Amino acid sequence: MTGIDPLPLSGRQPRAVRSALAMLEEVVAAGPGVTAKEISAALKLPQATTYRLLNLLVDEEYLVRLPDLRGFALGRRAARLAVPVAPVPPTAARAVVDHLRGLVRWGVHLASFVTGQVTLADPDPDHPPTEPVFLARYPHASALGKLLLAGQPDWRALTRDLRRFTEHTVVDGTALDRQLRTVATGALARQCGELRADRGCIAVPIRSPIDGTLVAGLALAGPPHRIAEPNDELVELLREHAERLAPLLA
Amino acid sequence: MPNGAMSGLRRRSPVHGLDRRNLGPVEVLAQSVSSAAPAAGMATVPAIVATSAGTATVWSFVLATALAVLVGTCISRFTRRMAAAGSLYSLTAKGLGPAAAFASGTALLAGYTILVMAALTGAAIYLDALLARFGWRAPPVVGAVIVVLLAALAGALVLRGVRVSARIVLAVEAVSIALMLIIFAVLLGSLPVPDPDGGASAGLGTAAAGVLPALGAFIGFEAATTLGVEARRPFRSVPRAVLGTAAVVGLLSVVAAYTQVAGFAGRLGGQPEPVVALAAARGAPWLAVLLDLGIATSFVACTLATANALVRVLFSMGRDGIAPRVLGATHRRYRTPHMAIAVALPVAAAVPAALLVAGVPGPDALRILLTVATAGYLVGYLLVCLAAPLFLRRIGELTPAPVLVTAVTVPALAVACGAFVVSALGGPVPVVLAALLLAALGWFGWLRMRRPAELAAIGVYDETSAADVHLGRLP
Repeated sequence: MTGIDPLPLSGRQPRAVRSALAMLEEVVAAGPGVTAKEISAALKLPQATTYRLLNLLVDEEYLVRLPDLRGFALGRRAARLAVPVAPVPPTAARAVVDHLRGLVRWGVHLASFVTGQVTLADPDPDHPPTEPVFLARYPHASALGKLLLAGQPDWRALTRDLRRFTEHTVVDGTALDRQLRTVATGALARQCGELRADRGCIAVPIRSPIDGTLVAGLALAGPPHRIAEPNDELVELLREHAERLAPLLA
Repeated sequence: MPNGAMSGLRRRSPVHGLDRRNLGPVEVLAQSVSSAAPAAGMATVPAIVATSAGTATVWSFVLATALAVLVGTCISRFTRRMAAAGSLYSLTAKGLGPAAAFASGTALLAGYTILVMAALTGAAIYLDALLARFGWRAPPVVGAVIVVLLAALAGALVLRGVRVSARIVLAVEAVSIALMLIIFAVLLGSLPVPDPDGGASAGLGTAAAGVLPALGAFIGFEAATTLGVEARRPFRSVPRAVLGTAAVVGLLSVVAAYTQVAGFAGRLGGQPEPVVALAAARGAPWLAVLLDLGIATSFVACTLATANALVRVLFSMGRDGIAPRVLGATHRRYRTPHMAIAVALPVAAAVPAALLVAGVPGPDALRILLTVATAGYLVGYLLVCLAAPLFLRRIGELTPAPVLVTAVTVPALAVACGAFVVSALGGPVPVVLAALLLAALGWFGWLRMRRPAELAAIGVYDETSAADVHLGRLP
């Protein structure tokens, strides 16, 4: 054949599936920058098969080609193949969060974004937050999730299903895009009853003081009609604590 | 090596500002199909081919289809591995280096610009003809007004983004292809003697002579490569759109050629309006109205799709720094290259409008513009086919098949280019081509002196950026 798209692999081709998985392993083992030829040699696979499967894995975003177009690395999607493990925040960081809890009457939650998902690192024990699985799976509906999405060059890569939870949930892609741009410019995310009708949340980003990457979010959860108010003093308090957390979490 | 490989990662893609990863496969396909404008080609190209190939016309189209599919295969070597907005020149850069990429870029820039001019002219001619069938002989200035109005409409839709324009283009092109299929079904149904032997007896040489004009039906089929950045799954949808368009246009052209060759029983060559004549002979003159409508809409769709491609080539050149950088700017809201649109479309409208106002007969203007545009495309195709195996060798993924494809395709295209030069001798076409070539050489010389670094780094594409890589932590 002359390289016209090969037929899609069917489930009846276990060797191709096995080879594809072996390639993913090989890219992890050899580290980013490994070339197609090296992978073909390491796995003792025919070159044409290797190139075809590699292109397929790139197409599916499990792998990416590095800017030299020769080397491969794991793509963002590969992160979904493992359960994300967020680092436990250090005691000093917990003390800062506890300090904030002493100052406000609402729930205070600290979430980590380093896994590419919303992972609760220090949920408020007195005001239990929404089920962690929901926060991780539907970032479009939570304030912490909106912060995470707003920090991405392409937020669509992190959302799969813009599910509607309440009448307030933003489920339209264009509307969400507009909202996320406001979140990015204001460095403040707010949702009023989008995930649960009786709960609202404001969240501010925590950025690494070294290179400014988004590492975590600090959120206040309370009744939606109160969250909808400007809350300037509370936001100021939240930002102050986020700033103190930044060097402890980066 | 691993660390070295990762240190090249940028924080954001060099083509940021475009609406990245947002177009479905159908929208990408629409771009290629409409730019190739099969409906207009079905009605007009077979008669041109028949002047060279006679009864072997059908076989000329079969050969041209094979050649287009092979070119598409070469293009897919790149588009399965990289997502660009600059069409074939961004791809050629990764295989043949800066000088060839620049040649490809200027050839395609001329090709796209002039195809937009030709499509605008074509739309004006056939809308005029439609008006004439209803009894109004419009003065030439009406044609110029139609050109300017269509260009303004195209500019607005291209600015609004491919999502909107692709849907319109798809609907328009689907209507015109459907009209053509109805027309050809009616004509085929009333053919006196089915004459399946198009020209097997006429010999391969005769068929080969018709390949160059037959390729004219395909130009534009690579236009989906300009949507690499904006396609949701570029590595899949762009190659499929390019190869699928080559196949679809080939199939439609073969049907059209067969009908017309059989209909005229071998005297198709040089017929000015073959389908209209056939329709009249079969007692179905109402088909002529459908035909004019179908061709006009096909040209409108072609204007839109080719303008989409043209502004993205200019955008890439702006980002590459080989054209004024302001061309690489994008509109904040629509995320399209609005400065490139503001520059390109007025130029593309002014030339055909001026030609029509100056009294150049529409069909002559169309023929000259199409011939010049074809030259640009042929250079682009030739270079990308040459670049494909070199690109694969550079990234260490060369297998025998791409070498074989290039070994067949490049000589065939070179012969087509040679035949083109010979066929274009005499008339205004060589003058225009020589002027364009001089302009390109002057531009190249200026870049060599003033912007050598930009020229050496030509070939911007949507690189993997730090955010696309999974490192087990956020980068």
